[in-house]
Amino acid sequence: MQLLEAQSVTKVFGSGVLSKDRLVAVDEVSLTINEEKPSIISIAGESGSGKTTLARLLLGMIQPSDGNIRFRGKDLATMDRSERREFRRQVQAIFQDPFEVYNPFYRIDQVLTTPVRKFKLAGSKEEEQRLIEESLQLAGLRPNETLGRYPHQLSGGQRQRIMVARALLLNPRVILADEPVSMVDASLRATILESLMKLKRDLGISLIYITHDLTTAYQISKDIYILYRGSVAEVGSVEQVIKDPQHPYTKLLVNSIPLPDPDIRWGSQNDVDQAPLTSGLKSAHGHGCKFANRCPFVMAECHEKQPPLYRTHEDRAVACFLYKNEPSVGGREMAESLAA
Amino acid sequence: MLSNVKTKPVDVRTKTRADRILDVRNLRVSYQTGGGQVRAVNDVSFFLRPSERLGLVGESGSGKTTMALSLMRLLQSPAVIEGGQVLLDGVDLLSLSEEEMRRARLADIALIPQGAMNSLNPMLKVGEQLRDAVTAHMDSGGKTSREARIFDVLESVELSRNVVNAYPHELSGGMKQRVCIAMGILLKPKVIIADEPTSALDVVVQRQVMETLGRVQSELGASIILVGHDMGLMAQFVDRVGVMYGGKLVEVSPVREIFKDPLHPYTQLLIGSLPTLESKENFKGISGMTPSLLTPPTGCMFHPRCPQVLPHCQVEIPPLVEIKPDRWVACHLYNGS
Repeated sequence: MQLLEAQSVTKVFGSGVLSKDRLVAVDEVSLTINEEKPSIISIAGESGSGKTTLARLLLGMIQPSDGNIRFRGKDLATMDRSERREFRRQVQAIFQDPFEVYNPFYRIDQVLTTPVRKFKLAGSKEEEQRLIEESLQLAGLRPNETLGRYPHQLSGGQRQRIMVARALLLNPRVILADEPVSMVDASLRATILESLMKLKRDLGISLIYITHDLTTAYQISKDIYILYRGSVAEVGSVEQVIKDPQHPYTKLLVNSIPLPDPDIRWGSQNDVDQAPLTSGLKSAHGHGCKFANRCPFVMAECHEKQPPLYRTHEDRAVACFLYKNEPSVGGREMAESLAA
Repeated sequence: MLSNVKTKPVDVRTKTRADRILDVRNLRVSYQTGGGQVRAVNDVSFFLRPSERLGLVGESGSGKTTMALSLMRLLQSPAVIEGGQVLLDGVDLLSLSEEEMRRARLADIALIPQGAMNSLNPMLKVGEQLRDAVTAHMDSGGKTSREARIFDVLESVELSRNVVNAYPHELSGGMKQRVCIAMGILLKPKVIIADEPTSALDVVVQRQVMETLGRVQSELGASIILVGHDMGLMAQFVDRVGVMYGGKLVEVSPVREIFKDPLHPYTQLLIGSLPTLESKENFKGISGMTPSLLTPPTGCMFHPRCPQVLPHCQVEIPPLVEIKPDRWVACHLYNGS
């Protein structure tokens, strides 16, 4: 059974079809997590790519303009109270800033006892304490070094791991992590990513990892979705997409990673060295490939219609007319095939 | 008594060597807090060669930003520069009067601050902000030569002249960052300090901005100190890397050597923790916590987390010494060599 699905979801901000303020933040994106096959999926893109909007859609925080989000086959929009409550418990989120989520006047404990009480997870004080200590340990923290403290007494890495512990308390099936390590120091980054990986390996929890950092995405995930201005530019296994990118935009992204090796020079990874920047988020006209005005390989048809996904490999599809000789594939079909 | 002296005479002992445009000696900076004194920069010495790109890396709280600000003398209370020298071309910046230092800023040593793009005044057009900076420093030369300089720098950071009429919110992040670089180089400083200049930018824009910064710096023949925590950026941009830990400089080495053969155990773990595209699921964090600067460990700052700790590491602070040509390390492991 499919655990969590985005079925051709679109989110438009602003109103009116021809309004100048209309912004298509997410444009017909499909994504699937299979209940039987826990997996780590990365959603990568730059600011304005729609990755955070997609995350908010998946969490049910905002409603799609078109398409739907399904949890165990049920559309979030038609869920009743108890179904929604179950969804809220099974799908947890970890956000970017490990500083902002805490109230500085409360001890750390409060962040952990609130969900226990809200979802009535424990019958007694002792059970509550036991649950909290267990989840802290799963997140790689020592309870005696964290409980009873105030947020400012803990490091950024510890604070972020407490958010992992909080998510774990509810025994979720999916954790959605939006840039969980971008504000954490390098030496702690590895530790947090490792604890997220362990959740999948040891507890079978799937992870949706939202990031702009292709290196960590490569490190932890099986599949990756590259978003460009709301659309999937390229999707597939990380081995395919990051090690051998095909979409000109993915090539540009991979080529811009500052690799920690002075012998691999910036921009020497592939044939898309640089692309001009465009101003604003909207293209001059609504149709055509969104990357066309920056693409070094642009062709006439790129300005006429949006390219569909072409399946260039069993584990990969690319939305680019350069690959039009390959069979085209629907976004949903591709997502389901990767999740299977 | 000597307050009327424009630049302090430099005696023989403090005379800088010709191959050092900036020579920082035994710099100590502390914050006076309610809980006691916190030494954020603890007896740090390093130098910068003409036209060199030096990276200063460290985790949050390692003192790198405090150091950058103290070189500019821009620290505010409760931070106090307790001692040391910052010799720029032989002149100790720490001994200048406020007015002399104000003149030196931008003209001799410029800072592109952290989150620089948010440091622009949202109420003023970009042109007015650039004009302010020039007027405050360029006494000679008329209005036309100032305007010419502004257009020059905008061109060199690849911005069109029209941005002088734009308000900051009308520009993208990358463009704002370019405006800040333009401001930094307006008066052709000898040393540019860039504190995490691209940390808020996307990778594609980051690369373009760094390439601009690099090109502008070589055109000026200026030296640059790049402060940051992104080792990838350091690998791609700088000539030498200085690693800070707990307010101390623990290693300074040429960039190739530091990635291939890091000397200090902390540098070794730091390099080992970096995610690469070579192998998957390779997580090597550094266990333990960064030291509290209120109650710092005795001896070497890193000894509580160091896998190669020796008995006297807890007692004695290792000095930063040059153990091989151009390779400086502060670690007792190298005491014998």
